[in-house]
Amino acid sequence: MTALLQSFESLERRPLRTFLTALGTALGIATIVALLAVAGGAQASATKFLSLGGSDLGLFQRDAADPTTSVLPLALVSELRRTRGVQAATPLVLLVGEIHRSPGAIAFGAYPDSFVTDRYVFLQGHMLTGDRQVAVGSGLAAQLHLHVGDTLSIAHRELSVSGIYHMGVPEQDDGAVIAFGLAQALAGKQGEATTIAVSLAPTVSRSQGVETIRRRFPGLLILGDGVSAPRAGVSGVLLSRLALVLAVIALVIGGVGVMNTMLMAVTERRTEFALLAAVGWSGPQIALRVMAEGVLTSLIGAALGLLLGVIGAQLLVGLLGAGEYVAPNVTAWDLGRALLVGVLLGVLGGMYPAWRAARLSPAKVLAER
Amino acid sequence: MPGSRVEVERLTHAFDGNVVLRDVSFSIEPGELVALTGPSGSGKTTLLQLLGGLDRPTAGRIMVDGIPVHALRHATRYRREVVGFVFQLHHLLPALTAQENVQLPMVAAHVPRRERDLRAHELLDEVDLSGRARSLPSSLSGGERQRVAIARALAGQPRLILADEPTGSLDAAATERIWQLLAAVRERHGSTILVASHDASLLRHVDRSLAIRGGAVCEQPASNLAPPPPPATGPDHHDRAPAEL
Ligand SMILES: Nc1ncnc2c1ncn2[C@@H]1O[C@H](COP(=O)(O)OP(=O)(O)OP(=O)(O)O)[C@@H](O)[C@H]1O
Ligand SMILES: [Mg+2]
Repeated sequence: MTALLQSFESLERRPLRTFLTALGTALGIATIVALLAVAGGAQASATKFLSLGGSDLGLFQRDAADPTTSVLPLALVSELRRTRGVQAATPLVLLVGEIHRSPGAIAFGAYPDSFVTDRYVFLQGHMLTGDRQVAVGSGLAAQLHLHVGDTLSIAHRELSVSGIYHMGVPEQDDGAVIAFGLAQALAGKQGEATTIAVSLAPTVSRSQGVETIRRRFPGLLILGDGVSAPRAGVSGVLLSRLALVLAVIALVIGGVGVMNTMLMAVTERRTEFALLAAVGWSGPQIALRVMAEGVLTSLIGAALGLLLGVIGAQLLVGLLGAGEYVAPNVTAWDLGRALLVGVLLGVLGGMYPAWRAARLSPAKVLAER
Repeated sequence: MPGSRVEVERLTHAFDGNVVLRDVSFSIEPGELVALTGPSGSGKTTLLQLLGGLDRPTAGRIMVDGIPVHALRHATRYRREVVGFVFQLHHLLPALTAQENVQLPMVAAHVPRRERDLRAHELLDEVDLSGRARSLPSSLSGGERQRVAIARALAGQPRLILADEPTGSLDAAATERIWQLLAAVRERHGSTILVASHDASLLRHVDRSLAIRGGAVCEQPASNLAPPPPPATGPDHHDRAPAEL
């Protein structure tokens, strides 16, 4: 404790250097936090589209950065309906992050009499009947304590809850359904959809159906066929791998920064450490004093990094133009990890300088003048 | 607490083949106050550092109360529990107050905070600086700094005090005060004290004197001890430069 207090004092004496070192660590940690948050958000969003339910397929624009940014022309729907093996096709517009009381929930814009919504089992009330109504999934209703007749705000529209459904697919039960036209208007997608759900005829096998659609519409990404499914998560997975690599680089830079500063401090204050040795401080006691300074510096950095990271995550999402679909989620676990990393950086970066300080020869150093 | 018995046998120390101490033997009895003299570069600091366990000799034996100091791999405990070192330059930590500097050895010994505060207060009182406990070294005079350094050396209740030119940069009055302080410490605690100094005024306070010359340590003849007190040539005699040995 004393060691920590004293190291705080010695950091206070060199505020600029401490700040710059801490900033180095902070940038490293901010990078990690931002990337993890975005990657986590992207992955979470992407995987949600995998389950449209049942044996259906979800069609997305193939070259979209992420399935969430997919845009398909509505004209495709009637073409699909004419395709052999397709029993039904219906467009969906997905709104992510627009249910403000539950940012992770998806609002599905769908036609109330489509094959997707026909499967909903209503626990209370009924399917929506107009632009001013919303049907709420059982999970979301439980979470927000919603009942029929309550209002739910989606993209700043106050909608009245017409019914509460259960489907058995978590993403849909934790979301809500609004009128297709309203969703289009809210998303600014006139004449377009995010995805088109397709139900295959029982007469064709799944792979046959997928093959037919693939040949006819090579520009489409077909999800739900068990083959392409993992691709939906691809950008998310890639992003989190990239995050890991960048994080390691950032950490090395942060660690080297801490080490450099601590080495400088040890060199400057060699008389201090030699004196401590001369009056009976043990090697480990001296090393601990140096380490405490390193850890304290990088903890300051970590705290700063968390802040920058949370801000950075928003900026990054904005920069990538994915703000509509990727909601960066910074979890307490992310924050805890970042702090842990801060301590680790201080310990790792401080280790060599601490060892140097503990090994100084008091005879040599104290005789210098 | 009685002072240490110091026994040095056939001690040799060299820096990169450059022999500073050659086959030196002497002993100091418990409670003795001994001066160590010799020209600059003769090896006074070197000898004190070897005795204090700050360095290990090239050859020979140093026994302090039966502890083989020459062979200690980690002298930490010896430095903390047996020796009090006063350095040529005071080596107070600039960021710590007088009181905190005095406490440094006690921090290493895990003395509880309250007791540290109490002991530091007593020690500063002993060197007549109880009013400056919260002063930083930069606001103390040279003599005051050395007195804080002496208080720090006393913090571990040492049986052996090694002082390396503690009056190097002080005027005659401040120097005299340091000598009196060391003599008083010896009276009160019975510690063995070895003081390296160029200053002849030290000799009036010591029991005997050792001289280093050409790598050898020899007993200074008694006739050279206790030179006559400086002639009182007027009220300004304190301003004279201290006599060199
Ligand atoms: N770490 C070292 N490396 C090499 N040579 C050293 C070292 N320390 C001391 N010496 C040499 O050893 C000799 C004795 O030095 P020492 O400091 O013990 O002398 P001293 O009697 O204390 O001198 P002074 O009165 O000037 O303090 C000198 O020649 C010095 O150059
Ligand atoms: Mg010297």
